[in-house]
Amino acid sequence: MTYEFHWNVVFQKMPELLNGAFVTLHVSVLAMLLGIVIAILLAIAKMNNSKPFCYVATAWVETARNTPALFQIYMAYFGLGAFGIHLSPYVAVLSALVFINAGYLTETFRGGFQSIPSTQYSASKSLGMNSIQVYRYIILPQMLRRIYHPMTNQFVWSILMSSLGILVGMSELSGTTQRLQSLSFRTLEFFIVAAVMYFIITKLVLISSSLLSRKLFRGEI
Amino acid sequence: MIRKLATVVLAFVAAGSMNASADQLDTVIQRGTLNCGVVLDFPPMGYFDKDNNPAGFDVDYCNDLGAALGVDVNVLNLTWGDRIPSLVSGKTDVVIGSTSDTLERAKSVGFTYPYFVFKFQVISPKDKQISSFDDLKNLKVGAALGTTYETEYLAYAEKNGWGTDNYTAFKSENDAFLGLYQGKVDAIISTNTNIATKLQSEEFEDFVAGPFVPKYDDVVGLIAKRSEGAWIQYLNLFLVHQIRDGNLDKRYNQHFGSDAPADLIQTLRDNK
Repeated sequence: MTYEFHWNVVFQKMPELLNGAFVTLHVSVLAMLLGIVIAILLAIAKMNNSKPFCYVATAWVETARNTPALFQIYMAYFGLGAFGIHLSPYVAVLSALVFINAGYLTETFRGGFQSIPSTQYSASKSLGMNSIQVYRYIILPQMLRRIYHPMTNQFVWSILMSSLGILVGMSELSGTTQRLQSLSFRTLEFFIVAAVMYFIITKLVLISSSLLSRKLFRGEI
Repeated sequence: MIRKLATVVLAFVAAGSMNASADQLDTVIQRGTLNCGVVLDFPPMGYFDKDNNPAGFDVDYCNDLGAALGVDVNVLNLTWGDRIPSLVSGKTDVVIGSTSDTLERAKSVGFTYPYFVFKFQVISPKDKQISSFDDLKNLKVGAALGTTYETEYLAYAEKNGWGTDNYTAFKSENDAFLGLYQGKVDAIISTNTNIATKLQSEEFEDFVAGPFVPKYDDVVGLIAKRSEGAWIQYLNLFLVHQIRDGNLDKRYNQHFGSDAPADLIQTLRDNK
């Protein structure tokens, strides 16, 4: 294959690409934070004995984990649109990502919680701790340690999946790349630079997560 | 003897695979198949017919080109954004996909002479009252991502200080029309031909074609790899023959219901 690369076309558009990368990061961080909050509620609901809560949580988790992200983003945009509910591309992608993150994290949280033997609870109680102390000093620290890496994975996944925003015309990194490449047709160059930017973003997230884990858990992970 | 024969066979195979001077034209003829890229959600230029087969003006041009070359035709369905990657990666030999021949794009890809001219037009619900392009100022406007009309709208919006907050990009032409139909946007911009086709369908009976994008003729060409000069030369001659042999009129009649307008033919003859 003989292909001459023209990189200067891409560098001229760098500000717009960086802007797109910012939107990507923005939507993924927000989707992660909201996802965690909802996942905690869903995990509690799932372990709850009352049937209705448990059903809702199970339905959520099963749908989120067993249907493609592409389908969910499409449904949030055009599916709801058919009923006259019009979300902006940003909100549609955000809600789809929150939906998926919450679904996956629910299982992570539930698994983390149930991996702590209940005997520890009884043992702490017998040492004279009250319930709050048991969770604060015994259960939660161990649980957080166990779910920390799966959560980081979910965050990286969420950053990469936000690229599906292109489906509904969101101007995140992929959408911006697609628009810019159609002006000059330097497709390869734009997509290579976008891929490098995704790589840098996820690497930065992984490195900072590992630094944070060292501080939080002092290496005991 | 066997060893000698093997050497001869190997030499032939090597010569065949090394055939360095074979250009795209040779490749297509030797392969016996033309891989022709068309955007198939852009009626009447490219679409799927009732039996789910590729059809349309561009598809017919692929078939005419295949007939001229004496090879089979393999039509590949592309999105707007796939057009260049499909050429670069060798999946298509030529893309007959209403590609606007901007000078910026011509730095990357080889254009033939023009083969069609579009107007860019606004389509909106009947109650929206859009009489000039400037009426779009405070309306939500959409278009398909990576098209020239998207670029034209955004340039116009920037020049007039409208900003881009009211703009929505759609992944494909079909999605843009779906978004308009659902009311996600007040108006979309597309080509006059596509709008005319859509307005004939029941879904769009409450919609109306609006003003054209001011001072803009969308002149489109076939595209091929920029380095394939001889192949592009052949494609140019093919386009000349489409007019001369009456195929343009024939195809225009099939898809637009009349002979090709004189000004279209004149523009194509003048290569403007």
